[in-house]
Amino acid sequence: MKKIGLFLGCNIPFNRPDVEYSIRYLLNELGVEIVELEGATCCPAFGSMPSLDVVGWATASAWNLTIAEEKGVDIITGCGSCYGSLNEAKYHMDKHPEIKEQVNKILSTVGKEYKGTSKVWNVINYLYEEIGLDNLKAKIKYNLNGLKCAVQTGCHNLWPSKAYPTNEDNTFNPTRMREICEALGGVAPHYSTITDCCGMGALRSQASAKSLALFKKKLDVIKEEIDPDVCITGCNSCLMQFDAGQALLIEQKKLNYKIPALHIAQLVAIALGADVEKATALATIPLNGVITKIKGGN
Amino acid sequence: MAKIGVYVCHCGENIAGAVNIEEVVKYSQTLPDVVVVKNYVFMCSDPGQDLIKQDIKDGLVDRVVVAACTPRTHEPIFRDAVEAAGLNRYFLEMANIRDQDSWAHWHDKSGATEKAKRLIKSAVAKVRLAEPLYDRYGDVEKSVMVVGGGVAGMFAALDLANMGLKVYLVERQPSIGGNMIKLDKTFPTMDCSACILTPKMVEVAQHPNIELITYAEVDEVKGYVGNFDIRVRKKARYIDWDKCTGCGVCTQICPARVPNEYNFGMDQRRAAYIEFPQAVPKKAVIDAPNCLYFKSLKKTGKPACEICKKGIPPKGIQGCPADAIKFDDKDEYVTLKVGAVILATGYKVMDKTHFKEYSPHSPDVVTAMEFERILSATGPTEGELKRPSDGTKPKTIAFISCVGSRDERYHSYCSKVCCMYMFKHARILKEKYPDIKLYLFFIDVRTAGKDFEEFYVYTKQLGVKVIRGGRVSAVDVKPNGKLRVRGFDVDLCSPVELEADMVVLATAIEPPEGTEELGRLFAATCGREGFLREVHTKLYPVETAAKGVFIAGCVQGPKDIPESIAQSRAAAAAAAALVIPGKIKFEAIISEVDRDKCSSCGVCVPLCPYNAIRLEEYKGKDKAKIEPALCAGCGVCASACPSRAIVFHGYTTEQILAQIEALTEV
Amino acid sequence: MEEVTVNVIDLNQCDEDFIKQLIELGAEELKECIQCGKCASTCPMALAGLEFFIKRIIHAATLGLRDILIEDPSVWACQSCNRCVEICPMDVKPYEIIQAVRRAAVRVEACPASTYEGLRNLYRFGHAVFPKGFEERRKKAGLPEKPPTALSFDELRKKYQEVLKQTILEEIAPFPLD
Ligand SMILES: Cc1cc2nc3c(=O)[nH]c(=O)nc-3n(C[C@H](O)[C@H](O)[C@H](O)COP(=O)(O)OP(=O)(O)OC[C@H]3O[C@@H](n4cnc5c(N)ncnc54)[C@H](O)[C@@H]3O)c2cc1C
Ligand code: SF4
Ligand code: SF4
Ligand code: SF4
Ligand code: SF4
Repeated sequence: MKKIGLFLGCNIPFNRPDVEYSIRYLLNELGVEIVELEGATCCPAFGSMPSLDVVGWATASAWNLTIAEEKGVDIITGCGSCYGSLNEAKYHMDKHPEIKEQVNKILSTVGKEYKGTSKVWNVINYLYEEIGLDNLKAKIKYNLNGLKCAVQTGCHNLWPSKAYPTNEDNTFNPTRMREICEALGGVAPHYSTITDCCGMGALRSQASAKSLALFKKKLDVIKEEIDPDVCITGCNSCLMQFDAGQALLIEQKKLNYKIPALHIAQLVAIALGADVEKATALATIPLNGVITKIKGGN
Repeated sequence: MAKIGVYVCHCGENIAGAVNIEEVVKYSQTLPDVVVVKNYVFMCSDPGQDLIKQDIKDGLVDRVVVAACTPRTHEPIFRDAVEAAGLNRYFLEMANIRDQDSWAHWHDKSGATEKAKRLIKSAVAKVRLAEPLYDRYGDVEKSVMVVGGGVAGMFAALDLANMGLKVYLVERQPSIGGNMIKLDKTFPTMDCSACILTPKMVEVAQHPNIELITYAEVDEVKGYVGNFDIRVRKKARYIDWDKCTGCGVCTQICPARVPNEYNFGMDQRRAAYIEFPQAVPKKAVIDAPNCLYFKSLKKTGKPACEICKKGIPPKGIQGCPADAIKFDDKDEYVTLKVGAVILATGYKVMDKTHFKEYSPHSPDVVTAMEFERILSATGPTEGELKRPSDGTKPKTIAFISCVGSRDERYHSYCSKVCCMYMFKHARILKEKYPDIKLYLFFIDVRTAGKDFEEFYVYTKQLGVKVIRGGRVSAVDVKPNGKLRVRGFDVDLCSPVELEADMVVLATAIEPPEGTEELGRLFAATCGREGFLREVHTKLYPVETAAKGVFIAGCVQGPKDIPESIAQSRAAAAAAAALVIPGKIKFEAIISEVDRDKCSSCGVCVPLCPYNAIRLEEYKGKDKAKIEPALCAGCGVCASACPSRAIVFHGYTTEQILAQIEALTEV
Repeated sequence: MEEVTVNVIDLNQCDEDFIKQLIELGAEELKECIQCGKCASTCPMALAGLEFFIKRIIHAATLGLRDILIEDPSVWACQSCNRCVEICPMDVKPYEIIQAVRRAAVRVEACPASTYEGLRNLYRFGHAVFPKGFEERRKKAGLPEKPPTALSFDELRKKYQEVLKQTILEEIAPFPLD
């Protein structure tokens, strides 16, 4: 039986635990044993340790990586920042022995050592490579029934590509999420701003209005070019922008349409028969239409 | 009676797409003396040409009209074909029914067809009256003159000399070397300029086939391609170069001091001087206007000083040990016969005084060329970086690009080498003084050239600051002697200012003095910006409008050393290709004077753009005579001659009238 | 009355030590930037209309304009999206330059309050992002109130704090690391 260490980070367990529920659900359904990474912390977020120095960043990341290493498992995360921060820290340490050395000097004082043996996966790549589309197809309970999805892989899931163990063939034309949606029975057309940043993150905290304006520009293109039933994100931060951020724009009367949003883990979990209440517990924009369409198909 | 064949080309769809070929063919058959009319898809292809050749060989036709494209590109092909089949090559006429017809009237098919008929009719009318013409050949002098002894002139001279040709290298200054010898290091390889150039200068001086004539200028040019007679004025040196050993004694004892042009006046030389330490030939000259001997002679009628000659006996100082001083020296003239000429007179840089907004009165504002001398070990500071005003070492230097270039008030062109030498200066300085602060103000950075972009990035890595969009608007002198530079930084999107210790202006490269006059002597023309002009930028980059006169190096336009050398060697090859065969072909299509008809009015003489016409005695009267070697076949004289005494072979008056008639007949 | 200043940048402000510091803090390729603008045409900061966006930040850094960079909060709005790193033709790794500027700024306490808040949360709870009311949210999703992270294991959290104390955080944190 496959095993994987579930790395939660901060935003998923505290802001969107419904995504955590979904990841847990889908891994279970797909027969992957979840190994809890007890004592794991923040990845750390880019505005924290990475903004102090490389060694501090790498040390904080290595704390998390070693938990998985000790249990002999790879790591999966549903958050783009965690995926980026952990992989970049890993890249720094694997590329520069002197950084690794300094990190291990610190870690040794608490009896730990970073070796570099655990890979860090995101949900997209894990589904695509480790589970496989055919396998996934075989296991779904509810077909998406032609549900039209606008996918948002998310910057951190794509770049910097050289820090990542696996990736899209062309990170400027990502297709993996589209293929997953289509394997579930949905339609996921390409659109011209597919790799644009959603605006969530530091920009949202430092310049909220500008961040939302950037998001709106992207959403308008999505609406105009493919007019989807739902937006599917590969990153939890993107989900927060697409869902709560969008609701904010609506509240501010800056948007006159509404597109519900789900994390890819939520979508897969629902297709695999998850409890919709739990799997979408924290969505701000109602998902009724989406759920009906999925459930209606069977 | 002529037997004319008309061959109509479709040029694929180019002609056939607009002109009704069948109709044109039928029409052509009705024209006088036309015996054969054929058409083919590509007349210039081998099978197309064979159609014509076969008809000639079969005796069917003895005059040919090809109705096709432009004679500019295709006439030689068809002339060759006609000649190969045994006809005189001038028994061919082309009717341009493509460029002047089908292309121009693409949307008016019937109009185009009518016009094609007219054009063919006119060509037929002309070829009926064609006379056989024969190319002529003349002898060529197997020697070349190179004017200008910079790097371009030197390489051209060496290549030609190595091919076994006699070369006269004429240089205005006492020494060869040009601007390159003044440079410190050279981009992109950073070789020391003098180190790579002096061996070449010596090679030039010692080459048995090169006659080096320095301190001299071209005075008069006679003759024409293959046979130039050029008079060169060797300026009086007041020192007998046969005796002078270059010991330098005179240059040390001479009491008359003047600003040293070689270092742009940043130090002094004597009236008796050797241009620079590595000069080739290493000979002294006396600069008469500044020499006390001549000054006194002029003023009082009596000479004075003569220290260089006699020394200062009371102090035990000897004069010239070689007894070379020759106050009665005179300009000397030599006339040289050459088959071709290469003009390689280079460039000069603009003076800073033009740029009033940059405080040119401050000695700390210098041109880039002056800065080369400041950097050079043989320069006024012996290579030590010093501020001209107070001799202190500058900590911050600003470099300003495009000073006088890309500026409609001075020169609209880009001087091409400045971006690169600015980086070169920065690199030399940063490698010597890592802490020096250097700000380079560009409009934009232009580093197109082999290894240039890499040079730029490398220099940036040394910590050199690059300000783009930063054309400086003002340099002001502050009370503390520093210079405040005001620019704009497009990347910061803000006006910026900088307090600098020195400012280096990358002033424009210009044609050297006398370029236009030099060009006129040789009948070579200058472009709008004053550089000598090539005949065709792409196809004939080293030839001038004057046959047998070639150009190389910066006198053709700003360029760097690699490009100057490449061009000079190209010019050498072109000149060699002209003189080595020893024979030259003169066009058959030229004008000729029927001297019995000539009324001696002389209107034609000044009209000829190639100076080919002279009045010469004939039967006791001055009559016009056209030198066939000089005539370019333009026809101006023939159309101007009031006595109709000039025959323009290939375009006789009868032929032209017949054409007009054919075209206008209704 | 609002103070009116003239809009000219004095290039003599150039602080070479600041440039050296940035390079040490990770801006290794800083001087390779040729200001081609490729990063700026894709950077979310630029697209969102921040006045100081990636290309300008890099240029100001090469000019050693320390005060301008330290005072302007733009670097803190970088998304860390790394798109610039992916596309920069000179491999400048623009994002690393953002981080270097941030690192220089925190050393003189020039960062937004939220940065300290995140660091404090990271140290105290093991989570830089630690929003209130998560227990409720977790219940809605049918999950236990606390996730199995350092939050749930006091011993492990202490150990983590031991680790953090040996990093740069020790020098920089404006709050007590007990
Ligand atoms: C500041 C500066 C720095 C430069 N640095 C570099 C560099 O690092 N690398 C590089 O590749 N290029 C550099 N260049 C360009 C380089 O100087 C030229 O490409 C090169 O010198 C051109 O050679 P030339 O023989 O065409 O002209 P010149 O060197 O000008 O030679 C022309 C010669 O003709 C003589 N002459 C002029 N008129 C007459 C006349 N009427 N009769 C007889 N003789 C005459 C002159 O006295 C001179 O000796 C630099 C240019 C400048 C301005
Ligand atoms: S002193 Fe006489 S030999 Fe010596 S350089 Fe002068 S002229 Fe020539
Ligand atoms: S005569 Fe006197 S001034 Fe003239 S060159 Fe000789 S030494 Fe100099
Ligand atoms: S960082 Fe890279 S992409 Fe951005 S301007 Fe500089 S060279 Fe161009
Ligand atoms: S990582 Fe930062 S600087 Fe680079 S493109 Fe993204 S937001 Fe801009």
